[in-house]
Amino acid sequence: MQVLTFLLKRFGWMIITVWIVFTVSFFLMRQIPGGPLNGERVLSEAVRARLEARYNLDAPISEQYFTHLWNTVRLDFGPSFKLQDYTVNEILAQGFPVSAALGILGMVFAITIGMTSGVVSAVRRNSAYDYSFMMMATLGIAIPNFVLAAMLIVIFVFNLQMFPAAGWGDLNQIILPAFCLGAPFAGYIARLTRTGMLEVLGNDYIRTAYAKGLSPRTVVMKHGLRGALLPVVSYLGPAIAGILTGSLVLERIFVIPGMGSHFIEAAIQRDYTLAMGALLTYTVLLFGMNTLVDLAYSIIDPRVKLE
Amino acid sequence: MSHSTEPILQIQNLQVEFHTDSGVVRAVNGVSFDLYPGETLGIVGESGSGKSVTNLSLMGLIPQPPGKIAGGKVLYNGQNLLELNQRQWQQVRGKKIAMIFQDPMTALNPFLTVEEQLIEVTMLHMQLNRAQATEHAIEILRKVGIPGAEKRIRDYPHQFSGGMRQRVMIAMAISCQPDILIADEPTTALDVTIQAQILELMKSMQEEFGTAIIFITHDLGVVASICDRVMVMYAGRKVEQSTTREIFRQPRHPYTVGLLNSAPRWDQGEDDLQAIDGQPPDLLNLPLGCSFNPRCQFVQDSCLQDTPPLVALEGETPHQHACLQDITQTEEDHSS
Repeated sequence: MQVLTFLLKRFGWMIITVWIVFTVSFFLMRQIPGGPLNGERVLSEAVRARLEARYNLDAPISEQYFTHLWNTVRLDFGPSFKLQDYTVNEILAQGFPVSAALGILGMVFAITIGMTSGVVSAVRRNSAYDYSFMMMATLGIAIPNFVLAAMLIVIFVFNLQMFPAAGWGDLNQIILPAFCLGAPFAGYIARLTRTGMLEVLGNDYIRTAYAKGLSPRTVVMKHGLRGALLPVVSYLGPAIAGILTGSLVLERIFVIPGMGSHFIEAAIQRDYTLAMGALLTYTVLLFGMNTLVDLAYSIIDPRVKLE
Repeated sequence: MSHSTEPILQIQNLQVEFHTDSGVVRAVNGVSFDLYPGETLGIVGESGSGKSVTNLSLMGLIPQPPGKIAGGKVLYNGQNLLELNQRQWQQVRGKKIAMIFQDPMTALNPFLTVEEQLIEVTMLHMQLNRAQATEHAIEILRKVGIPGAEKRIRDYPHQFSGGMRQRVMIAMAISCQPDILIADEPTTALDVTIQAQILELMKSMQEEFGTAIIFITHDLGVVASICDRVMVMYAGRKVEQSTTREIFRQPRHPYTVGLLNSAPRWDQGEDDLQAIDGQPPDLLNLPLGCSFNPRCQFVQDSCLQDTPPLVALEGETPHQHACLQDITQTEEDHSS
């Protein structure tokens, strides 16, 4: 019951948030010099007028705003400016599942590797494990995606010939890009887990647990881990929203038909409708993930009340 | 209390060091004492006197590093606990020797139900299954006076008041009926009325199970009400030890005198309480001679040179003290 009220309230807030994001970006985009019809080819007056009529660009800005808003409420993002013949809905419906699949696998990598090495680093603090894991975490964060991707391609594609170089559709085509995508997240998660765990292990109740005769493993996994996870969980919300919406660079390198490129390209090309579609998708995802984080918090820590 | 029986725990010349960046801190410096079955031994001293460190080392809970047991023995049933490995310690902790900590707000895990925290001890040490352990836990919660135990057991620690949490801690500590219970200032964080209840509870649990209790405190009122014998610690050393009655009647170390004068007593007029002058010593830079000499009102030249040995007075009641002066002679002049 409490959860239901919480979710309803959050849904209400999400509607308001989405509306604000919509409004701000609608006017911002139109404030930026240039428009969707400015390109290398100079359009004749007649063609330009036809196109403006098609995309409703000739209407007064307030009318454009309300038409676009109403269409958005009906979940119709309209036709794309640059990828003609496609509606924004179609583009997102094609790209999002691909990016999401890649993102989910990347996140699974990141969480498994990051949390394990974080816990080990904290428990074996200042050991060789700790130093090497933390160095790897820093490298994971510091090395740009495309460098890591290039190195992995050289090793696993050309030398070991374990994976194909690029493409989409097969499980062994997804592993390399997912790993590259997850690497920096794994680094952050490892560092957060280590810090969280070290803080928790200094608590009185950990000493109590040892005083009961519990084994170090039980103390760490049962008494320590939950508290140590809290900072990781709050990081995971925005991280998952980000990773699910794709990566421009990796999708280019591995030729993956995701939606990562749409964010950047739509903005550069002033593809008003596609940019709005991508942005609102991200907003909803981010809001949803943060709501999940709050729910997870209340499950992990019984002292947290949903309000 | 007569000591016809063998001691259950013998601490011999225990030395615990902490290696810090600024030097070696000798937190416990050659402390010896015995604990007899069923008795309550009070350990009294200021913060930093080494009383908590002494007791954590009885449980093998000194963090190493920076801590290091530099010497001594802790004999329990003839076995030196300080030689145990991790796995052997796990068979002692919670089962033979249990501990209650000062702050029940932080000593219980906020993420786990009271049930989970209670049953894991008995499932581990008494090989109970979950259902038996839960039943046992409810029974022991009733015993420590938690009303509605069968419902409350599913609550989390934050849903209990401070006093109730300390009862839960006690329930946890006695659930395997340990031979020895170490209570590290278990009443300090509680209201005075709750303090009295907790002390009563500990006494009754001791009577029921015959547990020997080491009671760490700086509250002499608590000592008077629960302890059979008292050991006074200062700067990592034992400076005095005797029966509670004897310590209150005839203290032989100036520090003990200071402690007694700084505690309110109903049987002595309404004089102002006298604090002990000065600060507890810096363990990195102990004064030469007796560690207490900068704060001592009976100080003589010899106190600045020689570390006083622990002297045992044979008599009706055994009394050990580490002071070069016989303050029982001079005290009259000072207190008048």
